[in-house]
Amino acid sequence: MSAPPNAHEAGLAQLLLQREVEALYTHEAELLDDRHFTAWLDLFTADVRYWMPIARNVAFDRPLAEYTRERADANWFDEGKDDLAKRVQQIEGGDHWAEEPRSRTSHLITNVNVAEIRGTEMTVHCRFIVSQNRQAHDVNFFTGKRIDILRRTATLQVAHRAGTFQVAHRTIYLDQSVLLAKSLTTFF
Amino acid sequence: MANPAAGTVSREIFSSETVFTNELERVFAPSWAFVGHTSQFAADGDYVLSRVGQESVIVVRESGGAINVLLNSCRHRGMPVCRYDAGNASAFTCSYHAWSYDLEGALTGVPRLNDAYHGELDRSQWGLVKARVAIFYGSIWASFDQTAPDFGAFLGDMAYYIRDLMQSPDGEDDGYEVIGGILKWRMPCNWKFGAENFAGDHYHNYSHRSVDRLNISLSGKPARHPLAAIQTPYKFLNIAHPGGHTVRANLYEALAGYQSMWGEEPEVDAYFRAAHERRQKRLGERARLVSRGGVVFPNMHYNTGGRSTIGIWVPVSAAETEVWRWLFVPREAPQIVKDTLRHFYLRYVGPAGMTEQDDMENWSAAQRGTSGVTARKFPFNFQLNINAAQRAWPEAWLGADAMVTAGVSEHNQRSFYTRWNDLMSA
Repeated sequence: MSAPPNAHEAGLAQLLLQREVEALYTHEAELLDDRHFTAWLDLFTADVRYWMPIARNVAFDRPLAEYTRERADANWFDEGKDDLAKRVQQIEGGDHWAEEPRSRTSHLITNVNVAEIRGTEMTVHCRFIVSQNRQAHDVNFFTGKRIDILRRTATLQVAHRAGTFQVAHRTIYLDQSVLLAKSLTTFF
Repeated sequence: MANPAAGTVSREIFSSETVFTNELERVFAPSWAFVGHTSQFAADGDYVLSRVGQESVIVVRESGGAINVLLNSCRHRGMPVCRYDAGNASAFTCSYHAWSYDLEGALTGVPRLNDAYHGELDRSQWGLVKARVAIFYGSIWASFDQTAPDFGAFLGDMAYYIRDLMQSPDGEDDGYEVIGGILKWRMPCNWKFGAENFAGDHYHNYSHRSVDRLNISLSGKPARHPLAAIQTPYKFLNIAHPGGHTVRANLYEALAGYQSMWGEEPEVDAYFRAAHERRQKRLGERARLVSRGGVVFPNMHYNTGGRSTIGIWVPVSAAETEVWRWLFVPREAPQIVKDTLRHFYLRYVGPAGMTEQDDMENWSAAQRGTSGVTARKFPFNFQLNINAAQRAWPEAWLGADAMVTAGVSEHNQRSFYTRWNDLMSA
């Protein structure tokens, strides 16, 4: 018994979408790890919010208190594209000592799950592992969960080779409460 | 170990575990520790964990509003009786054998009290270890040393600057509130690298070239620091007090009208303009002095001057420090001012802060220079602008205990290490 043609097509469309999202993330990881930071910025919409809350250790019945709030509390990152651009300009100046000489990074993105589609936007969950090595002995190992809102931009100003999605909102849940690295100089 | 009079400090005090262990006893234990701010406790039972020296403490508001600071260690087997960073509680119960303590630290619950302790356990002797507490314009301080001088004597003339730190930009006392979420992170260096930097290292501007070039100040002018926008001539003062407490401050030659420091956000700029005028009215002549930051010996550090943050260097080991940082906004300010300050802080301070990243890079690299068998024979140099300090200068109202230099100087660092030396050799 084969599936009815319309179910087959829907499955195929889902697969293509999954493929497109994964291609975007692979492309993004390559841009970061190859240090093409300016090109990396093009993957974000002009109104993007890039948010990494701080985790706290809280009681089981206060789960909402575990993470600090976007646009309200202290966070590791809670900023827009202008701030990201400043960070890129800082790294690319050769005088940002925390990234000079530059880190060697590998961004691994996995468990990609298109959780919800709403018109031109969709919510995508994934996991990340980021390894960072600097100088002779500095090693950081970051793991966590990421939730992106990707937007299909029909009139995309800057077409990147991964497709026509841009990141319109990024939430980064790092699996640490006390940050075990002295600096967050890489992107997630 | 440290010879501040000659302007030298041994590298070993940054790498020796023996020195580190002695510091916990001799430098940290007799001092008062900053543990939090009253705005973190909205209701009775609200608590947060904090640190006194290396040790975990519960800072909790008991019914009636008083703040208690309790060593977070069960008297039975030493377990933390509070396992959460923050919350609300009516009691703290150990997860091991269920000894239970009330918000004043009194031991109230002991399983099998009658049938196994035979009713002979004197619970009044087995409460949580309780710290002395001082509340100073909203800031909360604690000490477990029952014989140490009280907080006022400990602070001395530094009291003026901590009161100033806790004044909102318009000069209102106790005018700040903490933004939710404390930044906590580890850095692989000795705690004193951070302490001496905050004490008064105006010499390290080169570290921050990248953020000066990028204008992260929101002033609209090329600098990282909002105060850099002010054109009125000033002396940069390094002010040191006998307790090892130090201040960095701008002393302007004359009172002047507001000069735009937050030009990228006109509403915020308007707030600071009005605040500037109100502060001058309140303080008069002394409004010429704008504190930038400093250190309450040994490990409380702060920045201020319209952007107030407080931190502690938690000593983990000779070569490891945990940093905690509280971010403050003026309680009565419009929301846009709070939002803008928060944005400024997150881009400036801490491990994601574009400015402090370079500090931690440098301190961690300096740490590597403290342990080599050859390197450690050669002391660090602290001779910048040595023997130039003047008492109660350039204004007598700085106080008879204030020893002051102007411009780049390692005067405050030398004062920090003088106090450190006194305690370590006592």
